[in-house]
This record gives sequence, C-alpha cells and structure tokens, in this order.
Amino acid sequence: MLANGTTKIASKLAPTINDRHLLRIYDSAPFKSCEKPMTNVYIVGQRVSKLAAAEKATGRSKYIQDVTLPGMLHGKILYSKYPHARIVNIDTSRAKKLQGVRVVLTGEDIPAIRMGVYKDNPPLKAGKVRSYRDEVAAVAATDPAIAEEALNLIEVTYEALPAVFDPETAMQKDAPLVHEAHKTNILKMPWKLHYGDVDAARKEAAHIVEDRFSATWVTHCCLGTSGSIADFDYDNHLTVYSNTQIPSLAQKDFLGTVKALGLKNRRVRVVKPCIGGAFGSKLDTYAYEHVAILLAFHARKPVRILFDRKEEFIATSTRQPAIMDIAQGCDENGKLLFRDITMILDNGAYTSWGATTPSVMMMPISTLYRVPNVRYQASCVYTNNTYAQAMRGYGNPQATFAIESSIDMLARAAGIDPVEFRRINANQPSEVSPQGFRITTCGLTECIDRVAHEIGADDVKKKGEGIGYASLIHVGGGARVYKSDGCGTLMKINDYGKVDVFTGATDMGQGADTVIAQLVAEELGLHIDDIHVIHTDTDVCPWDVGAHASRTTFIAGNSALGAAKKLKEQIVKIASQTLDVDPQQIELNDRMAIFREDTEKNIDLGKLLRKTHFSPGGNMLMAEYFYDPDNENLGRDFKGNLSMTYTFGTHGARVKVDEETGKVEILNYVAAHDVGRAINPMLLEGQVYGGVMMGIGYALTEQVQLEKGEIMNPNFRDYKVLTAKDTVPIEAPILETTDPDGPYGAKGIGEPGCVPTAPAIANAIYDAVGVRIKDLPITPERVLAALKRKKGIDSCGIDPLTEKEYDCT
Amino acid sequence: MKPFTYLIPKTLDEAISLFESHEGRSAYIAGGTDVLIKIKERKLLPDYLISLKHILGPDRPLLNADTKELYISAFITHRTLERSTLIQRTYPILHDAVKNIGSVQIRNTATIGGNLVNAVPSADGAIPLIALDASVNIYGTKGMRSIDLIHFFLGPGQSVLEKGEILTEIVVPPLLPRTGGAYIKFGRRKAMELPLLGVGMLLSLDEDLATCVKARIGLGVAAPTPIRAFSAERFLKGREVNEQTLTEAGQIAADEARVRDSIRGVAWYRRELVGVLVKRMGFTCLQRAGLKHGDSEDV
Repeated sequence: MLANGTTKIASKLAPTINDRHLLRIYDSAPFKSCEKPMTNVYIVGQRVSKLAAAEKATGRSKYIQDVTLPGMLHGKILYSKYPHARIVNIDTSRAKKLQGVRVVLTGEDIPAIRMGVYKDNPPLKAGKVRSYRDEVAAVAATDPAIAEEALNLIEVTYEALPAVFDPETAMQKDAPLVHEAHKTNILKMPWKLHYGDVDAARKEAAHIVEDRFSATWVTHCCLGTSGSIADFDYDNHLTVYSNTQIPSLAQKDFLGTVKALGLKNRRVRVVKPCIGGAFGSKLDTYAYEHVAILLAFHARKPVRILFDRKEEFIATSTRQPAIMDIAQGCDENGKLLFRDITMILDNGAYTSWGATTPSVMMMPISTLYRVPNVRYQASCVYTNNTYAQAMRGYGNPQATFAIESSIDMLARAAGIDPVEFRRINANQPSEVSPQGFRITTCGLTECIDRVAHEIGADDVKKKGEGIGYASLIHVGGGARVYKSDGCGTLMKINDYGKVDVFTGATDMGQGADTVIAQLVAEELGLHIDDIHVIHTDTDVCPWDVGAHASRTTFIAGNSALGAAKKLKEQIVKIASQTLDVDPQQIELNDRMAIFREDTEKNIDLGKLLRKTHFSPGGNMLMAEYFYDPDNENLGRDFKGNLSMTYTFGTHGARVKVDEETGKVEILNYVAAHDVGRAINPMLLEGQVYGGVMMGIGYALTEQVQLEKGEIMNPNFRDYKVLTAKDTVPIEAPILETTDPDGPYGAKGIGEPGCVPTAPAIANAIYDAVGVRIKDLPITPERVLAALKRKKGIDSCGIDPLTEKEYDCT
Repeated sequence: MKPFTYLIPKTLDEAISLFESHEGRSAYIAGGTDVLIKIKERKLLPDYLISLKHILGPDRPLLNADTKELYISAFITHRTLERSTLIQRTYPILHDAVKNIGSVQIRNTATIGGNLVNAVPSADGAIPLIALDASVNIYGTKGMRSIDLIHFFLGPGQSVLEKGEILTEIVVPPLLPRTGGAYIKFGRRKAMELPLLGVGMLLSLDEDLATCVKARIGLGVAAPTPIRAFSAERFLKGREVNEQTLTEAGQIAADEARVRDSIRGVAWYRRELVGVLVKRMGFTCLQRAGLKHGDSEDV
C-alpha cells in the first residue's frame, strides 16, 4: 500500500531467467523521476544468477588458499605478547638456524614503511609494541609447519609498559602515551560539523531527549580468510596476489613498499583471486601483505602468507567502536529542531579507516530526516586495543543506532506515534540538505509507509511483543572520498559477438560482475552469457578507487555503460555501412543488428563483425570509458555533495521479549529500500537479507570481547556470528524511484541492509517491554538487568544496571 | 596442525594394547570433534591417534526388553541418537539435548561417549543422562568397571578415567511410570552453540499425575562439572508439582548452583537462568509425564 502510484514495488515479480525474449516487465511501470520511461528493457531487472555461482558451489573457484606458485615459500608472523611493551631484544638466531627457514625479519631489518591513513603503522614493529596484534617478526620457510616452529624459536624480551584500554581514560593528561612522538592520544583529526544554531534551537524546543549510546567491536567474519602472495620477477617487478577490495590503491601502497626497498621505477601488478567476502575488511592494505613483499624480496622466491581463523580474528580489523552522546529536540508538532552529537572513538593502537568513519557518520547526523540545526564533534583516541577498519555501513550503523534510538525517544516524549514522527520529518526529493547533499530521488516516506504496513503496525500485539522502526540514508551514487571517485572500463568484442569487459570494479561475492554483465548485455542487445567480465588483474583492468561506499553498481555500472555505448555506436556504424541504411534505423537486439523497415536485412552480429574484421583495411571493435561522477569532496567545513544520489530505507522489526530471561526473538523483519532501480532483484534481495542478518548480529549477539587489549573469543564458538538456523523471516520490498544519474536508474544497496537494524530492534524491545538498551550488543543479560531495574528489583550482589557486584548489605 | 599416525583397532583389547605400546604419545579418538580442536590448539600433541570408531558394537541404542534398561554404545553419534525413534519417544530429555548439539555435520561425527569423556561442564549429552541416573561402563587393562555418571566427572576436562581406559557404554535404568523429562540448552544462537546454561529435568509422578515421587535436576555450566541440584530434587519429592513449587524448586536450584563469571556469561545471569529454566522444564516434564501416562512401560 503506497502513498501514491508513482513508486513501484518490484520484489519477487519475475522468475529467474536469463533469456531476454521472455519478459518486458518494466515497460508499463510508472516512474517517479525519470523523464523517459524505460522501454525494451530485457536483462536489466531480471533475477539473473550470480555469474560463476556454479563454480563456487562446486568448489572450482580459486581463492587465495588455492593459488600456489613454483618455489613458493610460506610466511608466518609473530605477534606481540603484551598490549604495550618495550622490545628490549629479539633473538632470531635459533629460528634462522632451523632447517627450511629462508628468511627471518624483525622491525629492525626493514625500511621505513608506514601503513594506513595516519601513516602510524609499520608492518613490523621496532622499539615497542602497542597492542597484542603488533607484528614483531616474520619468517619465510619451505613449509608452513617449519615457519610456525621457527616463530617458537624467536626469543623476544619485553619490558611491559603501562597500558590504556579505555578511550576516555586515554584522553586524560596523565594517561600512558600510545605513540610518544604524537604527544597526545587524541588524533589530530578534528571531526567537526556545525550549522544553524543548536543552542538557540535547544531553547526553543518543546521536547528534548538526551542520552548516551555505545557500540562495541564487531568483525566482518569473512568465510574466506585473508592471505597474500608476493612474487618478484628477475627484474624486481612485483606481483601481489591478494584478497583486496582496492586493487588500484593497494597497487599504490605496495609500490610504496617496493620504493622503500630502494627499487626505483618498478612495476607492481595486483591480482585478485576469488574473494570469500570482504565487507570493508579489505579496504586498506594490511601488515601481512607488506610482510609478504618484504619476505619475498629477501628470499628471492614467492612468499605466501595465509591466515587461519584465529589470526583472522586477531590480526584483521573490527568495526569502529563508539561512545555517542546525543541530544535532539523538536517543536510541539514533532518537527525536528536540532541534533547535537559528541562522540569518542576508540582508535586502537594504529589508524586505519575506522578513524575516518565520522566522515560518513556526518551523513545520517546531518541528513537523516530534515534537521535545521546540527552540531557534531568526534574525537578519535589512541588506546592499546585493536584498531578498526571500514565495515559495511562505515560508521553509519553506529550513528544511526544513536540517532534512531533517540528519535524513538523523542517521538514518545512528544506523544507522537513513532511512524508518524518519522513521516513528519522525512526527507523529500529534490532538496538540498544543510551539509550540501543534493538529494535527487527520495522514497523515504514510501519506505516508512510500506514498512508500517508490512510489519502489521495496526495488528494486536501479544504480551511481550513490540514493533520498532528505524530509517537510513546512505550514499547511493559513489562517494568522493579521494580526489577521484572514478572507474574505468575497457571493452572488446570478438568475431562471434562475444564481449570481454575489463572493469576496475571488484567482485567479492556481491555480484558486481553479474550486474556489469547485465548492463552491457542490455546496451548491446546481447545475452548474459555473451559477456565475460574480467576484474581480477591490474595489468589488464583499468583504475578504480575500490569496492566501497556501495558504489560499484552505480560507478562501475555507469563506466561499463559508457564503454558499451561507445561500442554500440561503432557497431551501429558498421551495420549502417554494411546494410546501407540510416544508423538511426538500426537497433541491436538478440545478437542481431536489426533494421526495422526491412527485416530481411537483419544481420547476425558475429557475421557483421567478421565481415568488418576480414575485409581490406579491417577493423576490430573496442571501446574504453572512464567514469568519474560529478560529486564533491567534503570541504574543510565538511560540506559538499559527497554522492551523486542517496539511498533511503526504513526497517521494521517485530520482536518478542522473554521477560524472565531477557531473550529477544525477532518474529519478522521488513527492510524496504529506495534503490532507484533494481538491476537484479535477486542479488539485491541477497544484499538486503545478508545486511539485515549482519545487522541483527550487531544488534543482539556479536562482540569481539577485549580484556585489557586481548581478544578473548577469537573463534566462531565464542564469537556469536549468526548461523543459517538463526535467520529470521525478512521481507525486502524494493521501491524504485529511477534515479536520473544511476545506470538504468539504479542506486547503491551494498551497505544499507545493516545500517538501521540495531535501532529498529532496540526500538521494538522498548515497544515490547518498556526498557531501552543503549549499548550494543543487546544481550539477554542487558535486557534482563534493565527489566529488573525498571521493576525496582535487584539481583542480589549484582547491580543490574552496571552488571557489577555490589555489597548486598 | 602437528602430524600424527592414525591407528584403527578392531577390538577394545587391541585399542588398549596400542595405547599402552605408545604410552604417553597416544590418544584415543572417536568422532574427533573435540580431539582435533585440541590438537590444533596444541593442547594435545599425540604422535598416535587410536580410533575407537571401528570397534564392533551396536550401531543404535538398545532397550533390554526384560530389564527395561537402555544401553547406548559410547561410540554412536549424536545424530544416531537424534534419529532414533526409541530416544524420541521414550527419552525425549535425551532427544532435546542431542538434536541441538553443534550442527548436523558435527552430530554426524561426534559421539555420545566423546561428549562425556571430554568432561566439560557444558556437555549437553551429560546433563540429561545424569538426570536419567545413567551409569557408564569403563573398560581397561583391569577389565570392566561401572560407575554412576554423576560421579564420573572430577573437574573441567577431568574424569575418573584412568590412563588407557575407554568409556564403552552408557546404561540408563528403567524409567518409573508417569515420568516426564526435558532438557533445554539456553544459548545465544540456534546452532553451533555451547549452553550458557543447560537444564535437564526428570519428574516421576504419582497416580494423581500431580505429586512428585522422584525428581532429577541436572545442571550444565552451573559448576565446574555437570551437577545435580540435590536440594531442589529433595524439595520436589512428595510435593505437588505446580507453579509455586516449581518456582521454589528453581530458586533452591539457583542457590545451590556454583555458577561463575566467564567470557561466555556472568554468574548472576546464569543463576537467574537456573531458576527460570528449572521452572520451565518442570512444566514440560509435567506435560510429558501426563501425555505418556502408562506409555513408558511398553515401548
């Protein structure tokens, strides 16, 4: 039930078919903002199976674990035994003497290499260690077991230093310094956004709510563990095989390491094997990749480093934890007047993309709902904990947890139904937010209505049941984080009408390859299996900034479309010459060049191409295109139109709370998104289902448990990622607004599924039993403690609020 | 993982003699779901693994028609027990437990005996068997001995098994008429989960289907070993089973539980769970005892 007839629900409307003859499902659909209705769309919008799905299901796909090179050595890394300590001495002599050991390196043996956005992280640490995951030494040996044994023979003498694990403590003057040279534990990254007048708005507000929320460490749990192979050729050109989401930027990082080794003017090639999940974890280069390069350089042999599951937990990064103070106010009618947020982010011992998540947090903070006055300030603080990385949503889930929990509180404070409150403040199409985001298409109101309907807002609720809502905004048309937000495509078509698409995009399981193939097939009038997408090798694929910011369908899709259009132009030109007809009259369809007025003249594409190729002065058709969108970097004031378009969505959760145990059960879940247009509804729903399950884990069960900097649960037994049996019923209605800038109207949808999940569930819990849980994950312990506190019952010896023991008397 | 030699004896005596001839360098393995993890984590570093999987024996649980005793070979898998109609119908308390251990893949290989000899406080298989008053048969160089399961566990990872001894069989005595049993694993997710708390309860009722004549309450993760809540059992015996008495029994059980804090859960919460889950399992027992009125005699 939609508010108006302009938005179309496309969920579950077509069977899975790859044949372009069968359906024209979008022809008659009304579209909201597209000038020209889409006609003759065949493959776009179809539920095409992920390319190479059968290869994956039958175990033929090659992951980094399956790649071996002749003469390859096996590298292993020795990690710190202390969260903060001076390295007094490292004795590697016994390890070096072990038969089969080729190279042993410590921080003292390597040139100056600094990883990460803040350049504070060498791949092997010298002088001191700052966290348990600090890499102290590395070994390359002929066998992994020998390398492992060699690690045991390395004797490191540490002198323990006072450590700091709490960011608020770390901010104090006398706190131990994690990086002495930095002089303070507070990073010099002044995340500050202010517009309007928050203090004045606060005085005007009829209702104000204020509270503190927190989000903890969680990790990506990619089924494919990390790994890398580094291989120098005779001339010291380097090839790196790695599970990366950023082949072009990784190439630059690796080139830095090659230069640091004193090698001038060398080439670096990055090859991506099949990636078993990434979710942001592979958006930076890691120590193990640089260590593999260093070991390979010294060994003069290829070196592979593979992580086991424990190492994956300990030595890859988490989602950025955050302590969030938020105040919001509205007027008598429920119109938001201000939002005031201060955050403290535990940066850990080194700096990766986690520290830059405030840049994305600013988006929901400034623009989720219309807020005229906003103030935001975030401090990233060094501690001796693990450091955080990009993870699906990139700060947005944390910020949205605080915002949407607080919105729920504000709606109740104002006595307005939470759905109505969100409707009152919903963003609208064609508006510019005060942070400078130019919203083009926006189906937020429709998403809210749709979810309220699907979740059964008006149904009678049983005791202990409740419904909660939360909405989201996310970048949907790229994100100009770097100077370029571009992606290149090369394309060639062979004598048989088969197309090779060389794209900068990275497929890591999400289906970038499939979506690109659909777009190209659509444009060239081909079938899906005529398109071969190559995305694995920087030697042949053009530059791309990386698979982040839910940008690949939009950016790489537009890039592929640009190249396809150029190729199409050439095909139409040769067809018009061959058939001797006006190019305007020629269409490409079903592997043919079609001349509508005289179908006798229709010519098979392969035949046409061969004719062109094997004639005197022959020609083969190729095209290239580099798409860099017209979006803007955030300025010094953090304003600017970061993305070409924005994805909106609303989630609704119906939960049942067991009041005796505090356990929360999700009865059903609705996640509606304005996706612009679904290029492939099946893959899109997969993204939403996966995102929601990741979000539910974030909300209820997942936590990397750190005790004094040490990860206590580095395994799937104790890290409670949800299993197939934990899946809940999820409805994922797709709302199409056909974005004018997206490829066939599409917006990005990679991340949104996990953005508003936690607050939707937290709000449902409040609706069910009247307790508000402000810290993630929402464990049964926390719910039960809050219920007891609400009823004024103490659990003897335990303060239900802090869960700490107190004196019973 | 440290390499090892895998030995496949066909008889118990052969297994024991292999163990002795590689004394100090060998370990038994059945399903391997615990042993291999220990080897990977370098907590166990045997040169020889002696498989118990190929020793000939019954491939399903057997009920002695005369004595009504249930015999479960230690080497059968959880999946076998899960799919046994005998277990499903007559010993639902055990079925509740075995059907939720790990995943199907794990249940297909992990054995019930392995679950016991691993001797962790969270052993899902042990709790219902304790509530069933099971005993275990242990075979070693000195021959066969038998011990009540409740006395089998000495501490985390420790049991009464002497070096080289093999737990061969579990014996469950006959059930009283009008007996209902139930087990719950309370965890954070639905599969691949260890219990935050496990409660296995068995209630036998008088002919009025209300008065308790015998109660057994087994608790997992409530102490360093699987335990019984003896005081709560004594409290229930002779009393009518209802909301009030079950709530009280839950409280008594909570008080006698020796719960502690760990990374998996805090003590106060575990204690809360004991109270709530004992009450709930009591109700399930009551229901099942009623349903099965007279049935347990003639399966």
